[in-house]
Amino acid sequence: MKKLGVLRYSLYIFFFLYSVNKLYAQEDPKPIINASLIGTIIDASNKEPIAGVTVQLEAVTHSVKTDGHGRFQFVTGQKLPFTLIISFVGYEKKRIVVNTSPVVIELSPTTENIDEVVVVGYGTQKRRDLTGSVASLNESLLKQNVSSLDQTLKGGISGVQVTQTSGQPGGGVSIRIRGGASIQGGNEPLYVIDGFPIYNQTESTGVGSGTPVNPLASINPSDVESIEVLKDAAATAIYGSRGANGVILVTTKKGKAGRVQLNYDGSIGKQQVLKKIAVLNAPNFAIMRNEALYDAYPNLGKFQYLTQDKIDQLGAGTNWQEEAFQTGKITNHQLSVSGGAEQIQYFIGANYFDQEGIIKNTDFKRLGFRSNINANPFKRLNVGANFSINRTTSQIAPSGIVNALLIMPPTATIYDADGAYTLRNPFENIFANPIATLQETTNTSNALRISGTSFAQYDIIKGLQAKVLLGVDLNNRKDKFYLPSYIYEGSGNNGKANLGNLDTYSWLNENTLNYTTSFQKHHVNALIGFTQQEAKNEIFNAGAENFVTDDLLYNSLQSGATLVRPNSDAYSWVLHSYLARVNYNYANKYYLSASIRRDGSSRFGSDNKWGNFPSLALSWRVSNESFFKEAFPAVNDLKIRTSFGTTGNQEIGQYQSLSTLYNLNYLFGNKIVTGFASHRIANKNLGWETTYQYDGGFDIALFNSRLQFTLDYYYKKTTDLLLNVEIPWTSGYASSLQNFGSVSNKGFELGLKTKNLNGHFVWNTDLNFSFNRNKVLTIGTGAQSYISGNYIIKVGEPLGTFYGTKTDGILQKGEESIKGVFTGNAVPKAGDRLYKDIDGDGKFTTANDRTSIGNAQPDFIFGLTNTLSYSGFDLTFLLQGTIGNELLNINRQNLEMFTGQQNASTDALDRWTETNPSQSYPRAKLDPAPIFSNQFVENGSFVRLKSLQLGYTIPKQLLTAAGISNLNVYLSGQNLLTWSKYKGFDPEVTSGSNIQIGTDSGVYPASRSLTVGLSLTF
Amino acid sequence: MKITYLLFAGTLLFGFVSCSKLDEKPESLLVSEQFYLNENQAISAVNGTYRKLYESGQSIYNSLFQIGVEMATDDYEAGPRARNAHVRAISNLTHDASNDRMEQLWKQSYDAINASNQNIEYIGLIAPEKINETIRQRLINEAKFLRALHYFNLVRWFGPVPLVLKPVTSLSPEDLYVAKASENEVYSQIIADLKDAENLPNYKSYGDNDKGRASSGAAKSILAKVYLTQQDWSNAKLKAQDVIDKEGYDLFPEFTDVFHIDKKNGIEHIFSAQFKGNSGYQGNSLASRSAPADIPGINGDYADAWHAEGGLYGTFAIQDKRLKTTFTTGMISPVDGKYYALAKPQFNKYYDESVVGNQSQSSKNLPIIRYAEVLLILAEAENELNGPTSLAQASINKVRARAAIGDIGKDLNKNDFREAVFEERRKELTFEYQRWFDLVRRGATYYVAKLKAAGKTNAAPRHLHFPTPQRELNLNPNLKQHPDWINN
Repeated sequence: MKKLGVLRYSLYIFFFLYSVNKLYAQEDPKPIINASLIGTIIDASNKEPIAGVTVQLEAVTHSVKTDGHGRFQFVTGQKLPFTLIISFVGYEKKRIVVNTSPVVIELSPTTENIDEVVVVGYGTQKRRDLTGSVASLNESLLKQNVSSLDQTLKGGISGVQVTQTSGQPGGGVSIRIRGGASIQGGNEPLYVIDGFPIYNQTESTGVGSGTPVNPLASINPSDVESIEVLKDAAATAIYGSRGANGVILVTTKKGKAGRVQLNYDGSIGKQQVLKKIAVLNAPNFAIMRNEALYDAYPNLGKFQYLTQDKIDQLGAGTNWQEEAFQTGKITNHQLSVSGGAEQIQYFIGANYFDQEGIIKNTDFKRLGFRSNINANPFKRLNVGANFSINRTTSQIAPSGIVNALLIMPPTATIYDADGAYTLRNPFENIFANPIATLQETTNTSNALRISGTSFAQYDIIKGLQAKVLLGVDLNNRKDKFYLPSYIYEGSGNNGKANLGNLDTYSWLNENTLNYTTSFQKHHVNALIGFTQQEAKNEIFNAGAENFVTDDLLYNSLQSGATLVRPNSDAYSWVLHSYLARVNYNYANKYYLSASIRRDGSSRFGSDNKWGNFPSLALSWRVSNESFFKEAFPAVNDLKIRTSFGTTGNQEIGQYQSLSTLYNLNYLFGNKIVTGFASHRIANKNLGWETTYQYDGGFDIALFNSRLQFTLDYYYKKTTDLLLNVEIPWTSGYASSLQNFGSVSNKGFELGLKTKNLNGHFVWNTDLNFSFNRNKVLTIGTGAQSYISGNYIIKVGEPLGTFYGTKTDGILQKGEESIKGVFTGNAVPKAGDRLYKDIDGDGKFTTANDRTSIGNAQPDFIFGLTNTLSYSGFDLTFLLQGTIGNELLNINRQNLEMFTGQQNASTDALDRWTETNPSQSYPRAKLDPAPIFSNQFVENGSFVRLKSLQLGYTIPKQLLTAAGISNLNVYLSGQNLLTWSKYKGFDPEVTSGSNIQIGTDSGVYPASRSLTVGLSLTF
Repeated sequence: MKITYLLFAGTLLFGFVSCSKLDEKPESLLVSEQFYLNENQAISAVNGTYRKLYESGQSIYNSLFQIGVEMATDDYEAGPRARNAHVRAISNLTHDASNDRMEQLWKQSYDAINASNQNIEYIGLIAPEKINETIRQRLINEAKFLRALHYFNLVRWFGPVPLVLKPVTSLSPEDLYVAKASENEVYSQIIADLKDAENLPNYKSYGDNDKGRASSGAAKSILAKVYLTQQDWSNAKLKAQDVIDKEGYDLFPEFTDVFHIDKKNGIEHIFSAQFKGNSGYQGNSLASRSAPADIPGINGDYADAWHAEGGLYGTFAIQDKRLKTTFTTGMISPVDGKYYALAKPQFNKYYDESVVGNQSQSSKNLPIIRYAEVLLILAEAENELNGPTSLAQASINKVRARAAIGDIGKDLNKNDFREAVFEERRKELTFEYQRWFDLVRRGATYYVAKLKAAGKTNAAPRHLHFPTPQRELNLNPNLKQHPDWINN
């Protein structure tokens, strides 16, 4: 019954929309008669013509834009005099009555463009009225040719660190806003897309291999109109238990009243791997293997693998990277129609995006449609619906493939003498033939996502608006996997097929009342609301093995002789929230904002379901004080801000507070019987992670806003961290999820926007710097540190601290008896690596001689966007950098094993031998224990030309005959240049996990891409 | 008109309240409050506890015993493909308190013990009308058997250990920070549990669908072994005799039958960990761990290898029928049909011919105790009590007869006979997780001498026990390291 209620209300809204549509669909365009007005628009200050200015006849929707020489031409049915409305970004809007033709009109640059409206949580605000830290992404960065919208944020906004987690087409990124705080919970920001909150998390179907597709890739980035990032508590507290990691507000394109615009944007491009890792060729590998075998079995001679004759005949061998990497094609077509009249506006778009990976047989395709409609069917009613449907298909690189490409011996071949695939390398360490794995494994993921919001907003009385929003996000994903019998991975099972299905359904309802009023010098805006969101995931997978043919792939599970036990799962969560906010200002000088959200989440313990998240912000617009204006005429705006507030993080998955049971089976009488066992001890007090954040900053604009500077200092303390606190195993459990421990992040953010030149030649610069310091304050009672693999979480040190041994050269001949104890080997031998004895017990052991050996947190990050335009040419480039962080190069650790079982990097050429007493690289050894040391911790700093776009707008006079109003051709590149000392594929790399930040282990490498395209508007 | 819209807006605003509920009701998971309510649930809870003999991955009775325990003997070593430093450390006896395989022994055993404790406690609370009383007692006794088995392993591996006998339901210090109990206390509990478990049905009275459950014979046989370990020879003899006389077991006529996949839970199998490959279930991974890696199509791991310096292979007589089941010296490649000789003999007991090339799906059960061992327990206990009497001789000779190696010498003295029994155990029970226990049972001098003789020169008296995992010492203020391991 209650579900029916929601349905009924949504039907009301759709009915409204539908009837409104019908009403306005019949309106005819106004006829245009041949009479013309010609003119030029120039800059009032430097008298240079301005291109791209919108010139509109008042009372008529008809408008034109000026060409590269500032000229415009009107063809109209009206007679002189005309009233023109002239508008252009950065200039004062002008209304002018024109009596003659041709006419020259001067436009003055705006003294302040901080009047722009920005989207904030549950509403919009004028930028100058903001009390919180809200940053907007530079519009030109939205035009980057990327597969998902989160990638456009790289380097664009201070305090936002964006790192690619996989170069797989459609692969994910990891975003940290003002540093990561959560150890066990989620650290990704909340995305709010046209009002619909989404936590971007990949759910697994239990099928498939490798990095899953980024769910945000199922939203077309070309549909995005603007992106705002909410950073401080004043801005995020309204999102309560989901605001602690920051909030990214995404607004999609809307139609505007005026002329119908038909826009086509198409591009084709290519992408390549940034670099390849130098590994040994076949002869050098064979020599190393001979050495390793001789070292292990000296009585069998020096040529146990291949004799010198055979080595001489080897040739270069198989270059596995060369065989696997390719130049991938990228194609993008975007078609949209937008327009509307005063009462209804629409934006309808279609998109096709196809990206081939830089590794063979990997790709990502998206076909999407969007329909955004806004209408005012009645004077006081505003309704809208923003919906998109996207289907994505992706062939994913199986996990471990990059590692296999690096370490597969060059003496192994792709095909055997009969032309069939070589199954695996011939040595004791088994690696499957990675080319066969790549080419023959079916590992595809298809997703269909239907998402959007619709709303109705009613002006009850002047200034008081009621808004109801309904949203839905449906995501259906199917993962398909097949290992044929003729490759190694499938040979044991005689073919292996799996199918997995994930069905995600999330709905949202928001009901808000918004009141705005002014009396005398008091301005008040108040908001109250109730929202609820529910999400449900259903997962199903099944599989089979032992097929008589590989032809049917995963399409006929029933024909497999061995069935894999099917598996299903379902989980859901609910969030109820009450919210309120007041923005008050006196005389546009003194500002106060206060907000509170009360959230109830199903995810938490029965005794701790509800939490309150308040915030308070104050700001003072000093520049509006009369004394200030006289004293500092060059400063046209100065605002000092401060805020404090509380936000939460509820990303801990479901059912973590309950003592759930899980299914496990056993055998009796050779038949499977069902069993159950308990998962964990219940914790009724489990609650959110709470982040207290203080922010202080100022915004200053100088010289008619040609220079704008923003500085923020923040201190964020996250307490009640959700930690799987380790408990003694004697309890029967390893850990218990508890609210324990705290982490702080503090730092500075600087933003500088300058309009260096704004005449004929326009040059704008947008620079941002961010410094963040992360520190673990406490972790559980009494505990000072805990070690997790190659990392340590230690009180007083930042998260992402590497924990390992320190190397100390190589053991040389004659030193065995003195320094041998520092090799960690029972029988030390010259050529073994030496390690530092950190605990000072006179010997080296891997367990005890470890210490902190680096950190993945950067000293600072920056982004520098330059936008230049000159007579039809425009150029945007983004330089981006991360300085002072370290990376853990696991690929390199694998490549410096020198076992002769697997390939090694070319550094192996300098390994210790009798004739080359190296101090840097150890001898070849058949079975060394892999020891994690500072050898594999590298400087991860880099500066790169992240993106570059060069465009040319064809002069309009060449186009008018074809009915084209604008034609822009462009060249766009990503990752064109990189300056870094990092030895791996790419320094912009991280593992997705919170603890293992900065690990580079078999990650699909990043690529460099170059695209040409054209944008056409009718 | 206006009023209509106001109403419309009003209903929209407040109409949605409580469309959804904040209570968490998992749809695909049971919570403990919904469980232990009837007989079927009780049965499945105990089934789950059986699975904790080897839950997933390297688990106690699915290769962890081999990797974490048996490597530290004179018969086994980390094979060329056992690359893990922790495993190699155990093989070389350079392990310490942070060795992760030993941590797993501790962790997984207590996990299984907690599951047994829950079974024992909560099955007892099920309302009488919801469960047949006989079934209730059987299930509780099965859980007690499993609890005893795990404590028996723990006390032999680690010496004194915390004795947890109630399910842990809170995070209070009393529940979490349990101090060690003495070895005697642990043994008393093991014996008490096993005595209760003696009331389990005889294995023959289980139906076909329950074959493999703990039985009266299993409880008595493990109890005999407990007494033997404690050098309580008379009770050991009594229990072994009891199994032999009353439980209806016998040896298979052929040694190969012990590891035949069609003869699981047969007349000789008293208690085994059950495996079934290629069924969406679990294979015995010892098979692939010991299978050679370099024969085309076999795809073995070669991570468990025979330690040649220990000389085990050479101690088998040529005619010993156990030899070919226990070891392989070469294999025919399923890919090219050629015979490949191995560099040295490799273990073969769990190699499953039905899954050549995919030995991780081996369906061979792992015997935890079988009748041949009961005969050897009787021989050993009798010899310790009365010397190599005819009873002792007859007992060991039964095992030797099946192996076709003839009777034991009649003129052996007590000491020689003892050594002969241990050598027989070594050959009969190779790769059945018994060697380490047999070595440490004899004391530090014996253990160290045997290992040193086999070239494992790091062996020291402290290796009679494993160190208490450092993690547990860190987390539990009431826990102390084993005295032999302090300062090591």
